[in-house]
Amino acid sequence: MIEVNNLHKSFIDKKDKKQNIKALDGLSFTAKDGEITGILGPNGAGKTTCLRTLYGLLSADQGYATIDGISVTENPLAARAKLGIFPDKFGLYERLTAYEQIDYFASIHGMTGKAKKQAIEQVIIDLELSDLAHRKTVGFSQGQRMKVTLAQSLVHQPQNFVLDEPTRGLDVMSTRILRNHLAKFKAKGHCILFSSHVMQEVAALCDRVIIVAKGKIAAQGTPQELCDLAGEKNLEEAFVKLIGSDEGVAA
Amino acid sequence: MNAHINQLKALVVKEYKEAFRDKRALMMALMMAFLAPVGLVIMSKIIIEEAVDEPPVYIKFTGAENAPMLIKHLADKNLFSFADVPEGEKAAWEQRNIAINIPEDYAENMTQGKVIKLHLKADFTDKAVNPPVRRINNAVREFSLSIGYKRLLVRGVDVRLLNPVKLIEQDTAKPDATFMLISMMLGAYLLITAFTTGLSIAIDSSAGERERNVLEMLLCQPVSTLKIVLAKLISASTIAFIGVVLLLSLTSVSVGFVDLTKIGATFNLELSTAIFLMLFLLPMCFFASACQLFVAFQTKSFKEAQSTVGMLIAIPAFIPFVVSMMDDRPEWLNWLPISGQSMIIEGVFKGVEVNWLAVVATSLVTIALTVALVLALAKKLKSEKVVMALS
Repeated sequence: MIEVNNLHKSFIDKKDKKQNIKALDGLSFTAKDGEITGILGPNGAGKTTCLRTLYGLLSADQGYATIDGISVTENPLAARAKLGIFPDKFGLYERLTAYEQIDYFASIHGMTGKAKKQAIEQVIIDLELSDLAHRKTVGFSQGQRMKVTLAQSLVHQPQNFVLDEPTRGLDVMSTRILRNHLAKFKAKGHCILFSSHVMQEVAALCDRVIIVAKGKIAAQGTPQELCDLAGEKNLEEAFVKLIGSDEGVAA
Repeated sequence: MNAHINQLKALVVKEYKEAFRDKRALMMALMMAFLAPVGLVIMSKIIIEEAVDEPPVYIKFTGAENAPMLIKHLADKNLFSFADVPEGEKAAWEQRNIAINIPEDYAENMTQGKVIKLHLKADFTDKAVNPPVRRINNAVREFSLSIGYKRLLVRGVDVRLLNPVKLIEQDTAKPDATFMLISMMLGAYLLITAFTTGLSIAIDSSAGERERNVLEMLLCQPVSTLKIVLAKLISASTIAFIGVVLLLSLTSVSVGFVDLTKIGATFNLELSTAIFLMLFLLPMCFFASACQLFVAFQTKSFKEAQSTVGMLIAIPAFIPFVVSMMDDRPEWLNWLPISGQSMIIEGVFKGVEVNWLAVVATSLVTIALTVALVLALAKKLKSEKVVMALS
């Protein structure tokens, strides 16, 4: 379970030192176990700042974030151990093979020996990476890179899984694999936090959607509830209305 | 505890894989270790040739016909008349323009036992003129003395009366120390190798990883920044140490190709000395890599890291030379990294008894500084500034 409570975070403007940029302005939400929680927001709404605070990379000015009840500021290493992260910007170690990369992250998460080997082989089969596993990742296509990154963040079977726009660049087949994978995780009672710009995907996958604008929650609920709230038929129209950039219907 | 070691091991293994698989960067890194011994051999060959050889010198005589005996004596010493200069060297000797003027009354003064004044004209500030002038000087003095001795002998005087006091020199420097040049250069090369070899690996694993967007992912993992820094430090300093070992072993092989006995010098790198130097330079390798990582992590881009860290190399290249030039060395120089190592290495090559206190002191200071740099860097990697610089 991921809980974010009243997060405030502001950055100093590089050009005008007196002016602060408010990235997070009292953001609170909870992503429950056994649910896929979608986080939606326009560019610059504070999504990445929120997620980075969750990883313990940034410390909030006010408020707190917990992962399975562990505070990310007080015990970042223990909190991160419960977390699988698919970051917004990711790269691969191009001199390692896909297998070695996954192995590397598995070892960082404290896996060893037979258990580690089994977990790696399992995740390679699950994500249909077998053909690529022993090739160096230099020259991999965007979709292949994403799959390797997914594999390395899933190999330790994290209780909580945070994905920042995981489907960009994936072809239809891979997207379906990912979707099935997430559904399986959900069924096993994992907590999934998912940020995306693809409305159909959010509508199809997420049990609950949180709409973030200007560093705080603009609205939350099931996709259907959000549509009802905005009085629109599809989520995209509802989203535009709810973030208030269209007609100012912000909650 | 075990878990910590496993984690660190995984981090180090990954750094090693990356470092050793980048073949081109690795070759570049070890270039210094390969080239330095070759450079040493070539330079010492040139120096030996210059010291041993007495190449012909061409002098512009005026009045040569007045002193045929002197001219013959000079010719025996490879000092010839400008008239005989080969076409290829003409311009060079024209420029050196060494002239000797033999007076008209040479023969007359010689028979009367008067002092004959020969005039040697040359630009004495010209470096190329110095050795010929020195040789002319010696040849003329020898010629003059031999005539003087003969004159005394005919008069029944023991020529030993001319030398009432004789200075006998006894060189207390060990024979190994006479070949200062190899040792000075090798000392500087060793420090530069320790400093430069790990450079590309240190930059690649810090600024390079940030630019390839893999650092953020790593910082989000349940691993302390101290372990991340340690892994990168271990990998970069291993490469640096390989450079030092390579340089030492290649040098000990390559000096065998130079015949130092020609100039009365010997130089050999005994195994015990080589091992001492390797162990002594080990903290230096760590210190160098820590400096490089510390700087590279704080730069904004890979390019900036390359140029900033490149400037770091100037330090080890510069300090040993400055230290070796200093006559009065302040005590604290013994303690500092680089200068301390440089002086001890100089002493080792000179064959001077090793000052173990200084060895321990400078090693401890180097290690302490390395630890401080690592801890500071681990703390810095936790700061928001570094995280913000990620995107």
